[in-house]
Amino acid sequence: MAITSRNQVRSIIESRLALELAESPAIPVVFHNMDYEPAVNSSWVQCLVSFGQNEYLSQGLTVDSRNRIVGLLLLNIFTPQGEGPGANYVIAKRVRDLYNRVIVSEVYFDAANGPSVLAPPVPEGYFQTQVRVTFEFIEEL
Amino acid sequence: MATIRGEQGSVQFDAAGSANATVVGTRSWSLTTTKETLDTSVHGDTFRSFVGSMISGSGTVELVYDPDATGQAGFLEDVLTTADPADATFELFTTGSVSGTDSISFAGIVTDMEISSNVGDLVVVSCSFITSGTITGNLE
Repeated sequence: MAITSRNQVRSIIESRLALELAESPAIPVVFHNMDYEPAVNSSWVQCLVSFGQNEYLSQGLTVDSRNRIVGLLLLNIFTPQGEGPGANYVIAKRVRDLYNRVIVSEVYFDAANGPSVLAPPVPEGYFQTQVRVTFEFIEEL
Repeated sequence: MATIRGEQGSVQFDAAGSANATVVGTRSWSLTTTKETLDTSVHGDTFRSFVGSMISGSGTVELVYDPDATGQAGFLEDVLTTADPADATFELFTTGSVSGTDSISFAGIVTDMEISSNVGDLVVVSCSFITSGTITGNLE
């Protein structure tokens, strides 16, 4: 399946996470540009996909040519404050394992970074960690 | 005047020399053309003089490996042709892919193929070739 749009990649990444977090124990997940009001002392995950550098990969201008595009997947994991990091790291492992060195539909995920503790958390009132995964894909023209 | 960037280029190839087709995924190409010279200096000359002699060429094509990319397998595996009759045809384009325009064409032999796989990087292939017979330039 040739990748021709950013939305295709975003969908591949987000649907993989949504499917996993719908499994028991289910955890709410929120994506870019979505309203979400987390319940107090709840656990939830924020998934942010950003596209970055683009470089020529092959010759051929707009026909039979390829670009190499890199991106960053940020996963913010929120768990109740004052209960230690254990529950947070359990969720972090679930989401990290989804992408760590995995190739899905021609999206190549690098070795995952984190979970790193973020202090102060945003929004406040939670214990927050962050898993960061760079990825790349080949855009076919 | 218009300058040209490398990404405008392309490579066409046919192992049987019948109908060139674009090799998808080429990243670069190079061609070095050499004309031998014959020394025509004679007794009494104080400066050497030469005439041009045989012309030959050699070069490389680098590709981003993709087993499904059109034209790649035939190009890479031409190096495995035994008793190669030099029937493969090449056309190297500085821009576009219109045969006979902004290109150099020739028959030749793929003499070397190196494929490398490194952690964290794309698999790339580098092929070397030599020309055989006439080299036709359409670079004007």
